[in-house]
Amino acid sequence: MAIHDQLLAAVDGRRGAEAADRLCDACVVLFDIDAAAISLVFDGSNSGTLGSSSAPARTYDELQFTLGEGPCLESVALRTPVLVADLADPDEDRWPIYGPALLSYQIRGVFAMPVLVAGEYIGALDLFRAQPGNLDGEHFAGAVVAAELAGVPMLDLLDADLQSAVNDPGSNAWTELHSLSRAEVSQATGMLVAQLGVEPTEALVRLRAHAYATGRSSTDVARDILDRRLKLEAD
Amino acid sequence: MTEVPRETRVLDAVVSLVDSLLADFDVVDLLTELTERCAALLEIESAGLLLVDPLEQLRLLAATSEETRELELFQLQADEGPCVDCYSTGQPVSVADIEAEADRWPRFVPAALDAGFASVHAVPMRAAGIVMGALNLFGTHPGALSDADLLVGQTLAHVASVAILQEHAPTPWTVMPQLRSALSGRVLVEQAKGFLREILDVSVEDAFTLLRSYARANGEHLTDVARRLMTDRHSRPVLVAALTEFALAQPS
Repeated sequence: MAIHDQLLAAVDGRRGAEAADRLCDACVVLFDIDAAAISLVFDGSNSGTLGSSSAPARTYDELQFTLGEGPCLESVALRTPVLVADLADPDEDRWPIYGPALLSYQIRGVFAMPVLVAGEYIGALDLFRAQPGNLDGEHFAGAVVAAELAGVPMLDLLDADLQSAVNDPGSNAWTELHSLSRAEVSQATGMLVAQLGVEPTEALVRLRAHAYATGRSSTDVARDILDRRLKLEAD
Repeated sequence: MTEVPRETRVLDAVVSLVDSLLADFDVVDLLTELTERCAALLEIESAGLLLVDPLEQLRLLAATSEETRELELFQLQADEGPCVDCYSTGQPVSVADIEAEADRWPRFVPAALDAGFASVHAVPMRAAGIVMGALNLFGTHPGALSDADLLVGQTLAHVASVAILQEHAPTPWTVMPQLRSALSGRVLVEQAKGFLREILDVSVEDAFTLLRSYARANGEHLTDVARRLMTDRHSRPVLVAALTEFALAQPS
């Protein structure tokens, strides 16, 4: 089974934190690493670890929020993958506190892929490895796919009322990402930002929740919003 | 008035685009211009650039027209059509008569005919051994793309690839993150179009024109203006006021 399919199989039929955990498990199996976690840097008050492959993975990941530096924070701030082949390299000084802390847990390689929701860099998939060295090309490409998929459980967790999504057995991460990436969904998201006075991520969450609640596709809901046939109520 | 030879016009387009590449440029804006140049230089009516995302879905990055029906047509190519074939083989695809391909692409063909197109072509964009996407060209008359046209299309597709990857020499490690970054810029531009549609009560097409003219008039990047509008709630009111004023000053 191709890496794509294995990652999809890990998240399909699952939602929120469970999907995030399973995606992290799949990363450990597929990418020759020892721990994986997905974390969110939404704004100052809403950040932290959403999913992880193990208790140690959660520890490595949460540590960066305690210390205020680390792969997820850096990946979101720079809007790029962060790849550290060996934390023990004397020239590697980007995290003066977090780096030595991870070394004390016998972690040498750290790799973070940004996660995007509604065009915004809001989190990262963090990969940790005991052995030093770069990710090989195929594993890197797979990790980018995993980070793309991580956008779906992240949306789930941003949705305060998940019931509708949980009850939809036909929901599938791949078709969902495909639908949410369409131009009209982004345009409708922008309209909702203006109408509801919320930020784009929340606007997208609202659009998606309405689609789930009414059993329609996000694209159809987006078109109705754009054509002013549908107006979502402000909270 | 003497007609400027096409060779000169092609060179002029390439020089102008490469000039932009050597300066500070905005990728969505530059590639929109590139599609406009394509339409002007080739025997085609409409052009779009589609990039592949990490899940190997083609997504629209720039197009000559922001009309919903045409955007729809480009987006449909995530599922079927000449761009999908061009992407999967890495080779140009030229369809002289769309109508003859109804069995091959049962959804794409009626949509393309409905939009008034008769021919369609796609040339690949590639770097570091990776096919990154395709330049998609639509004509209103049946007919194959001439070798000369194909070469012009391929040249502009190469320029587009360079524009997207310009920050770093491409490697398998840098190509996909940069595609994601370019696509996220497009998402923000689409959101900004919708936002302005609501605030100013204009069409999404007019919202795009306004956003782009405003960015140019102020020497700012299109995606930066869109990002500021959509993600910076503190500067949003000031920017909305400036855009509103700019819109009122535009000749209608």
